[in-house]
Amino acid sequence: MKKIFSFILITILAISIVGCSNSGDKGEAFDTDRTINVITREDGSGTRGAFTEIVGILEKGPDGEEKDRTYIEAVVQNSTDAVMTSVAGDEYSIGYISLGSLNDSVKAVKVDGVEATAENIQNGSYKIARPFNIAYKGELNLLAQDFINFILSEEGQKIVVDTGYVQVSNELTSYEKGEEMEGTLVVAGSTSVTPVMEQLAEAYKEIHPKVSIEIQSTGSSAGMQAAIEGTADIGMASRELKESELAELTAQVIAMDGIAVIVNKNNPIENLTLEQIKDIYIGEITEWNGVIE
Amino acid sequence: MKNKFIENFAKGVFLTSAIMSIIAILLMCVFIFAGGIPFIKEYGFKNFLLGTEWKPSDYPPSFGILPMILGSVYVTLGAIIIGVPIGLLTAIYLAKFSDKKIYRFLKPGINLMAGIPSIVYGFFALVVIVPFIRDMFGGTGMNIITASLLLGIMILPTVISMSEAAIRAVPNSYYEGSIALGATHEKAIFSVVVPAAKSGIISSIILAIGRAIGETMAVILVAGNQARMPAGLTKGVRTLTTNIVIEMAYAAEQHREALIATAAVLFIFILIINGVFLVVKRRANN
Repeated sequence: MKKIFSFILITILAISIVGCSNSGDKGEAFDTDRTINVITREDGSGTRGAFTEIVGILEKGPDGEEKDRTYIEAVVQNSTDAVMTSVAGDEYSIGYISLGSLNDSVKAVKVDGVEATAENIQNGSYKIARPFNIAYKGELNLLAQDFINFILSEEGQKIVVDTGYVQVSNELTSYEKGEEMEGTLVVAGSTSVTPVMEQLAEAYKEIHPKVSIEIQSTGSSAGMQAAIEGTADIGMASRELKESELAELTAQVIAMDGIAVIVNKNNPIENLTLEQIKDIYIGEITEWNGVIE
Repeated sequence: MKNKFIENFAKGVFLTSAIMSIIAILLMCVFIFAGGIPFIKEYGFKNFLLGTEWKPSDYPPSFGILPMILGSVYVTLGAIIIGVPIGLLTAIYLAKFSDKKIYRFLKPGINLMAGIPSIVYGFFALVVIVPFIRDMFGGTGMNIITASLLLGIMILPTVISMSEAAIRAVPNSYYEGSIALGATHEKAIFSVVVPAAKSGIISSIILAIGRAIGETMAVILVAGNQARMPAGLTKGVRTLTTNIVIEMAYAAEQHREALIATAAVLFIFILIINGVFLVVKRRANN
């Protein structure tokens, strides 16, 4: 008797568990009265830094104060993948990621009517894009000049595109190997630029085996500082250079990176204005009916 | 002569191994406190521990970790409320009620639970618990309840194994004596055996607290990680551990020091928990 009873109990439990897990069925129509689940990146991330600055979430005061006004309820995820998984799993969420990482699991919205494509980033019509800069002080030595020529050549820019970023220009000349280079080059700066720079350095070293390139991943500001002080030959920055830095350094854009604003595939929205994105991210618009009619 | 040399040599090997772990712990203390304390001094002990704003990328930045301290405390409390009753009842069942067949099946299962990497728990929670909570309470589904549920499950093996051992360690004469006095099986266990195992059970709960407060990778995925004062059970939360892991990758200068200081605070929490554990243990032995 006891056994039969416990068997029935377990069966009921099992059924209710299965039942519950099915209740979250997708297929229902998108409910625009629901809250927007805002997803952001962690403080200090280059993507967040660029996004908050371009969209206008970062408020600048007259005395150089900066205030990141990101909505306090925004969920913080610390990697591109985590942002994508969250958005893919939650119909009512919105997030942003580097364009190079975008895939089919989520939908990128148009910004001010412009689609996030390599072409639109290149011609400047897609607004949420940031340059990857390198900067150097004074005259370059032969080796550094040759390396930069390589980066901006057809071969170098192909690596940029393969790594998921956007090439600087479509009119490229192929790299011509001059005399054999040797020596050491120190490149320091942005953690976001580092992966591309490592690929570029690898490829360059295959052409000039005697060259050694040391890459230090220290962050954009530290990289610019190193270039100014001369501890690095070339600095890397994943943002525009500040005026104080431009006074000392010569900057060169080596690639562009777009930031895609992503929503769930079931979300009917196709287009957001920059203003709407800002309002969502500072918590002024909290429901989807604020942006979908 | 030769024997003596081997003897001494072996002694040396064992001593070095023993000292290694102590050295590791000492180095860790030095690293964390040397890195953290100067920052806390500079920023102000009170501002750091009791500050309610964590905005490292503002200028001027603010580094208050009270939200994270409270976050850790709430999530851990939630985990204890969910995990301890289930774990304790399971332990009692395993030790005193289950027949051998079921035990042979349950025990390895619980041991397996202890061995599953925490990131796997995290993903499980992200795809199962989060949508479930989202349907029930709305919002993002990443909140204190979700994190507590997940941690409640994760501390089960600790609570179960240690409590079971404690209950089994109670001399059988206690049980037999109470049966002889006319108590039923259930009465004997719940009124005599379990109270006798009290200190072992409390130890298991303290270790579970340590586990819950130190858990990181799983919590990151489901807690929402908003760095603000906890605002309710269905709102997101950030714990001390996740604060460190989330921001360490890109942190520089002061921000980085603030994170190491966070680690120092967490370390002190763990020291306190382990201290309490030792005291409880010692009392039990006397």
